[in-house]
Amino acid sequence: MPKSRILLIAAAACIAGAAGARYFPSRTVAPVAYAQSIPAHTLPSPTSGGVVIELCDGVTHTEVKGLKPGEPMSREEALAVTGRLMAEWRRKHPGVPWQMAENDQPSAMAAASGAAKSAASPASPPKLQQGDTYASFHERDYKIWKAQTDAFVAYGDQVFHSAKLLGSTIGVSCDMCHPNAANTHPETYPKYQEQLQRVALLRDMIDWCIENPVRGATLQPNDPRMRALEAYILAQRRGVPLDYGKH
Amino acid sequence: MSVRSFIRALAIAAFMAFSGGGRASATMPAPKPDELAQPKSVDQPGFPEQLYKWVIPAHNPQSAAKVALGKELFFDPRLSVDNTVACANCHDPDKGFTDQLPTSMGVHGKFGQRNAPTVLDALFNIEQFWDGRAATLEDQAEQPILNPIEMGMPDEKTVVAKLDSIPEYKASFRSVFGSDPAYASVVAAIAAYERTQIAFDSPFDRYMAGDSNALTAQQKRGWAIFNGQGRCMSCHGWNPTRPLFTDDRFHNIGVSAHSANFVPHAREALALLAHGGGGAREIDRLAISTDMSELGRFLVTKQPHDIGAFRTMDLRNLYLTEPYFHDGSQATIWDTLDHYNKGGVQNPYLDGGIVPLGLSGQQEDDLAAFLLSLTSQRYMAQAEKEYQRQFRISRTTRPQRDTAAAMGLKGRNGPGFSGPFGDIGPGQAAMNENPASLGGN
Repeated sequence: MPKSRILLIAAAACIAGAAGARYFPSRTVAPVAYAQSIPAHTLPSPTSGGVVIELCDGVTHTEVKGLKPGEPMSREEALAVTGRLMAEWRRKHPGVPWQMAENDQPSAMAAASGAAKSAASPASPPKLQQGDTYASFHERDYKIWKAQTDAFVAYGDQVFHSAKLLGSTIGVSCDMCHPNAANTHPETYPKYQEQLQRVALLRDMIDWCIENPVRGATLQPNDPRMRALEAYILAQRRGVPLDYGKH
Repeated sequence: MSVRSFIRALAIAAFMAFSGGGRASATMPAPKPDELAQPKSVDQPGFPEQLYKWVIPAHNPQSAAKVALGKELFFDPRLSVDNTVACANCHDPDKGFTDQLPTSMGVHGKFGQRNAPTVLDALFNIEQFWDGRAATLEDQAEQPILNPIEMGMPDEKTVVAKLDSIPEYKASFRSVFGSDPAYASVVAAIAAYERTQIAFDSPFDRYMAGDSNALTAQQKRGWAIFNGQGRCMSCHGWNPTRPLFTDDRFHNIGVSAHSANFVPHAREALALLAHGGGGAREIDRLAISTDMSELGRFLVTKQPHDIGAFRTMDLRNLYLTEPYFHDGSQATIWDTLDHYNKGGVQNPYLDGGIVPLGLSGQQEDDLAAFLLSLTSQRYMAQAEKEYQRQFRISRTTRPQRDTAAAMGLKGRNGPGFSGPFGDIGPGQAAMNENPASLGGN
């Protein structure tokens, strides 16, 4: 899956759609935290018979003419539309600081596999395992754990870049606003999120994005795609200190 | 012959009579390599490509010529002292690379103490032998050739001289290794051949690859029990990177506790090892030919927590490798399931994970059916037949079944439970002292 080379992205900007008031419809949630209703995110009606696509600022929008509701855009079309919306947001907010997304930074996965390779290179003769059954691990165990974790993150990478796996009805995927998970700042959760009008966990925000800008159905917290998305987003932030509540 | 080994010999004779008789004798010829002995393709559903790359050692890469030489050696009884026993005698390709005997027969009709493990997928084991006393397949192959009651060669030099006197071997070794036969290259070639014995491509592998019809409804129930109430996955856990059904570790599940008197044995073993130098060959001798065998992993690590602990075996192709456990003491899969279901056999070193499971007869049948789904396709007809045979036995003969213990109505979970070891309290010595500190000098 080719990753977008867009380098600049607004910290607060993402695309929102008019999926209606289906906020968190099927989740088992703590009653206090989720008793209040979430402000509706409504879209203007289309004027030329197309579909309106809107940023998550609730203001910046465009109409894709000829696009029928329920008919996803192609990836190329979606990239063009999201690119136009992002450019418009940047034009309207010239003073707002932009966060750089360094796409060519070595990913956590690449860095980790490099480390494993150099650690494994000395040709030492294999030794018998020592220690207690439940407290000692073989070198191969660590390799297996890493391979499993990397596979999990790689699946998250795939979901993140796939409108189809995300269930988007308009062909939009996460990477179109968050190339390589830029500006997802998972280390700042839990924090108050304006869109939700409450304190959110990373997965709440992922779900909001899936429901609104991506225009798909919310995921169950244990959905393999949700778990993999969390894994992928977190894996891009190795070494960043946890800083909950940060804005 | 000690009383115990006499009883064992009787048991083996009875087993052979029971299973058709005449399957083994002192003059049984070494098996000839057939279709099932051929190197197998890695192109099999479920084959772990990543793991395979990790387990082929850099110092012994695979090559067709080396594998061919290894195969010659594997089937050649001339590797034994009297030209009667080849590797293939105990690791017969037609019997899932085992001998389907409780314990294995070496030269002069002598029997050892351990059940022959399969070569199939053994390349993925972190360590070899039931007690993991060899770190590699190469190290493993060194031992049986020289063990006095397996292939009985006196020393490495004699093996090498014998091969050197056979012109075909001399030429092959020169061509593969660039030098005359040497013991290290003998075992390297055998290991290379063994690393071609890959047996995935099972219904379970196809199920995991997305074919939901690859398992029967009963096998799917068994898979759920395997991961749930049966607790099998605690040690026999599968994952996509390491799609084997073993944790590659050592657990006391109480098999030896039928007969072994662990603490005196542990002291005796430590004294013997101190006397003999404690080298690999000495451990091999104790493991194969003495009652110390029942100490299992302890012989290798000398750690008390390893007393009576044996390797967790991979569960693939189980219906080719009967009978079961390190001493071949269980005739059917149902017997092994009954053993686990009642919480093993109590002893001071029983693994903490071995507890009564409360499985019903139907649940055990489901597990037994699930285990059949771990059979590689090329062996399925053979395994299916054995499954049916064991199923019929299990309808009438369940020597290990103890429903009251399995259901927690007696024993450590039942009334009168009074301590961590239930109604078989260990002696104070076992509780307080590390036998490693008691034995030896």
